[in-house]
Amino acid sequence: MAIIRGCNLPEDLYYYAEKHLWLKPLGGNLFRVGLTPIAGKLAGGKLNAVTVRAKNIGAEVQQGKSVATLESSKYVGPVPAPITGIVKRGNEKLAADPNLVITDPYGEGWVVEIEATRWEEEKAALLTGPEGLAEYEKKLEAAGISCG
Amino acid sequence: MAEDKILIIMTSGPETPRRCATPFFFATLATAMDYEVTMFFTIDGTLLLKKGLADYVYPKEGGKSAGQFMREAIEAGVKMTACSASLELHDLKPEDLIPEAQIVGGATMWQMAEESKTVLTF
Repeated sequence: MAIIRGCNLPEDLYYYAEKHLWLKPLGGNLFRVGLTPIAGKLAGGKLNAVTVRAKNIGAEVQQGKSVATLESSKYVGPVPAPITGIVKRGNEKLAADPNLVITDPYGEGWVVEIEATRWEEEKAALLTGPEGLAEYEKKLEAAGISCG
Repeated sequence: MAEDKILIIMTSGPETPRRCATPFFFATLATAMDYEVTMFFTIDGTLLLKKGLADYVYPKEGGKSAGQFMREAIEAGVKMTACSASLELHDLKPEDLIPEAQIVGGATMWQMAEESKTVLTF
């Protein structure tokens, strides 16, 4: 576990820093995707809904395209796909408790699982490990973002 | 690239503040789902496009103004169009409207409706 600018960012995950998302390899080409505490904070810290678009399940989404949406009284916005791939499933628990995304971002609050189809090309742009986190820290510093 | 088009027809205006947040919120939400969204303002809705006016319309006391909701929608890429006849109704001139508003005729509304997958009216 690493705490960067007050944000818990585990070293063993991959990060799509542009949108503050994490990816966890589940074996094969399957990846679980969720929001970092930074994304949770930027979304206002309390959500009314997190919705995975049903149409996307089983379909291929391109990196950067919307796979889900976040709604709060202060914010509305997309959860873009951090990698290109087939959306295998969304987290059904979020329908009953969207705030799992905030309260348990790396556990019960994951958003979607994607089977990567262009991992080898796309992984270079993702941040991981101590070096990746150092780079992430620089980005957060430049943007003046911190958690807590 | 957006997948499908959505048209939101806005007839509510400053006299009904509570009706002036959700249409913008839904528009912004639809852009987050990769829809291409256009709002068409007519009847009293057009008044919200008058420069500065929406900043004084509060859907909820102490909350965000309609102007803030509208700016978020514009930043998200929602296209704002105003019915030309409704400008006349409120004695507005094109230069009275925010620069993002494009003035179009009623027939353009029909054309946009025809091209849209969904049309919502508020």
